[in-house]
Amino acid sequence: MAGVRLKDVTKRWGAVIGVHNQSLEVRDREFLVLLGPSGCGKTTTMRMIAGLEEPSEGEIWIGDRMVNDDLPKDRDVAMVFQNYGLYPHMTVRENIAYPLKVRRVPKSEWEERIDRAAARVQLGDLLERKPRELSGGQRQRVAFARATVREPKVFLMDEPLSNLDAKLRVSTRAELKHLQHELATTTIYVTHDQIEAMTLADRVAVMSDGIIQQLATPEEIYDNPANLFVAGFIGSPSMNLIAGETNNGSFLAADIELPEVGGGSRKGVVLGIRPEDLTVVEAGSGHFDAPVYATELTGEAILVTVVVGSQHVCARGPRHMRKDIGELVGIHADFSHAHLFDSATEERIARSS
Amino acid sequence: MRDRHLKYLLVLPAVVVVFATAIWPLIQSLILSFRTWKLSKSHVPGPFIGWENYSWALLEEPDFWNATVVTTVYTVLTVGCTTLIALGIALLLAPGGRLRLTVRTLLILPFAMSPALVGVSFRFMFNPEFGLFDAFFGLLIPPLAEVSWLADPTLAFAVCVMADIWGWIPFITLVLIGGIAALPKETVEAAYVDGASGFEAFRDVMLPQLAPVLAIVIILKSIFSIKTFDQIYMLTNGGPGTATQTLAHYAYFNGFKYYDMGFAASVAWIMVLPMIVLTYFYTRYVFRRG
Ligand SMILES: Nc1ncnc2c1ncn2[C@@H]1O[C@H](COP(=O)(O)OP(=O)(O)OP(=O)(O)O)[C@@H](O)[C@H]1O
Ligand SMILES: [Mg+2]
Repeated sequence: MAGVRLKDVTKRWGAVIGVHNQSLEVRDREFLVLLGPSGCGKTTTMRMIAGLEEPSEGEIWIGDRMVNDDLPKDRDVAMVFQNYGLYPHMTVRENIAYPLKVRRVPKSEWEERIDRAAARVQLGDLLERKPRELSGGQRQRVAFARATVREPKVFLMDEPLSNLDAKLRVSTRAELKHLQHELATTTIYVTHDQIEAMTLADRVAVMSDGIIQQLATPEEIYDNPANLFVAGFIGSPSMNLIAGETNNGSFLAADIELPEVGGGSRKGVVLGIRPEDLTVVEAGSGHFDAPVYATELTGEAILVTVVVGSQHVCARGPRHMRKDIGELVGIHADFSHAHLFDSATEERIARSS
Repeated sequence: MRDRHLKYLLVLPAVVVVFATAIWPLIQSLILSFRTWKLSKSHVPGPFIGWENYSWALLEEPDFWNATVVTTVYTVLTVGCTTLIALGIALLLAPGGRLRLTVRTLLILPFAMSPALVGVSFRFMFNPEFGLFDAFFGLLIPPLAEVSWLADPTLAFAVCVMADIWGWIPFITLVLIGGIAALPKETVEAAYVDGASGFEAFRDVMLPQLAPVLAIVIILKSIFSIKTFDQIYMLTNGGPGTATQTLAHYAYFNGFKYYDMGFAASVAWIMVLPMIVLTYFYTRYVFRRG
C-alpha cells in the first residue's frame, strides 16, 4: 500500500512536450482518474510512474521511496496497457502466471491465485486459449487478470475498458469499482470517457496539453470547474460558454442582458451555464428570447439549441414540447450553478466581487 | 478467354530464360553425374556408368568425407556464431536498444563486398609479414606472434570461419533488427512491469516471438554456408592440405584440376540433398508467415 507523488515532472522528446511540469499527489488506496482528450499526456504520465519512460525533469515517489532510478520490476506496480500487451505465444493461463513466475512466487500458490484472478473477470473457460483466439474485450479481461494476480503497491490502468461494448463497459465499470474497494490498492486510471471518470474516481485530474487543469472530486469538478477547459470538457451536453461582459453584476452579451449574475463590471468575461440550468419556456416569459436553431430529443427531455447573437446556446425543455426551427422561445436561467470566467486567463472568477 | 492465353504468352520469355540458364544446366549436370567424362582425355562426355560416380565418392574417397566434415563443422560454426553475434548487435541497435547509430546503413558495407574479395582481404590481413590482423593478434596474445596463420590447419580453418562471420554479420543483423522492431513493444514493457529482469524479458517474451525470424535466418545462412566456395578459394584454396576444403571446393577441384567432370557433378548433386531439405523448411516458414 502506498501513495504516488509526482514532483514537477516534465517529459520532453526534443521539442515535443508530453507532460509539462506536473505535480500530483495520489493518496494511499485512492482511485484517481486521469481524464483528458487524446494526446494530452495521460499515457505518458502512467508510463513514467511505471518506469517505462524516464522523466526529463522532476521526481516520482511511490510510498516513501523516490523511484526515478528504479527499474520497472522494482517499483512493484501492475499495469493494464492501452493495447493489452499480452504475451502472444503464451496461453491465457501462462499470461496470468507470468508475474508470479518472475517474482518467484511459490508454485503451490499459483493455481489458487490464477483461478481467483481469472474468476474475477469471468475468464474461467478461456484459460487454455492463446490471446489471438480471443475478442478485444476478452483480451482486456486477461490483461486485468494478469494485473490483479498479485498484490502490487499501485495499479496503473490505461483505458482498460475502451474495447468493451457499451453494455459490458457499464457492468465492468461496476465490477472494477468493487474490485478496487475490495483490494484497497492505490489505482491510477486513465480514460477520456468522462462518465467513466465521474463514476469510478475518488478524485479526477483533468489534463490538457500535458498540464493538469484541475484535480478534485468528481462533484467539485462538475460543480466548480477551475477554468474554461474543464468547464467545456466535463458534462454532456457540454456547458454553454457565452462570451460577453459584466456591468454592475449584470451579464451582457449580444442582445441579451442577464441581471444579478455578479462579477462586478469587467470586459472579456465568459458566462458558463449548463444546459440543465436553462429551461425553455414560452417566448416573453423567460430571461431572454431567442430563435430555435435545432432540437434534439434525448428521451427524458428535449434539448433546444437557440441562437444568441453569433453563439449557440443549449437549453432543456420538457419532453413533450415541440418547437419549430426559427420559432422564438423564451429561456429561463437558474444562475445558482453558473460561473464566470476571464476570457484572457481562462480562469474562473468569483461572482460575488 | 483471350486474356487467359495472353498471360501465359507474356510470362513465356521469362520462363524460357529461366529454363535455359537455370533448369537446363541443372538437368545437364544431373545427367553428367551418371556418366564418365575425363576432360583430359576427351572433350565430349563418355558413356553412362550408372551410380559409379556416387559410390566412388561415398565409398572410396577419404577426401570426400574430409570435405563433408569440414563443410559440416564450418556450417555449424558460422551459422551459430553469426546468428548469436548478430542477435547481440541487433539488440543493441534495434529501436529502444542501448546504441543509437544514425548511419545503420553503413553496417551493410561488409555484406556489399563479394565473398572472393573478403577472401583476398583476409588473406592479406593474415599475411605473416605485413598482415594487420597477424600483427594485431601477435600483440594481443604474444604466443601467437610467431605462428603463420594460414599455414596451420586449425588456424587456417579458424580464419576462414572468421572471414565468413565477418562478411555475414551485417546482413543477419539487419534482418534481426527488422524482426525486433516488428515485435509489439508493449509485450516487452508488460514483462518489465510484471517483474521481469532484462534477461528474463528477453528469454521469455522477445525470443519466443522472434523465433520465426531466427528460424529463417538460420536456414538461409545454413544454405549459404554449405555452398561456400569463392571465399575459401581466394583465402586458402582448401589448404593447407585439405584442412579447409569444403564440398563445393572439392567438387570444383575434381572438375577443373583433375578434369573429372562426371565425378564433380555427382559431388555437386550430393550437396544438393541437404539444401533441398533446408529449402523446404525455408519456403514453408516464409510462406506460412505470409
Ligand atoms: N515516444 C514519443 N516521442 C515523441 N512524442 C511522443 C512520444 N510518446 C508520446 N508523445 C507525444 O506526447 C503527447 C502525449 O502522448 P500520450 O500518449 O501521453 O497521450 P494520451 O493522453 O495517452 O492520448 P490517448 O488518449 O490518445 O491515448 C502526444 O502529443 C504524443 O504525440
Ligand atoms: Mg494513451
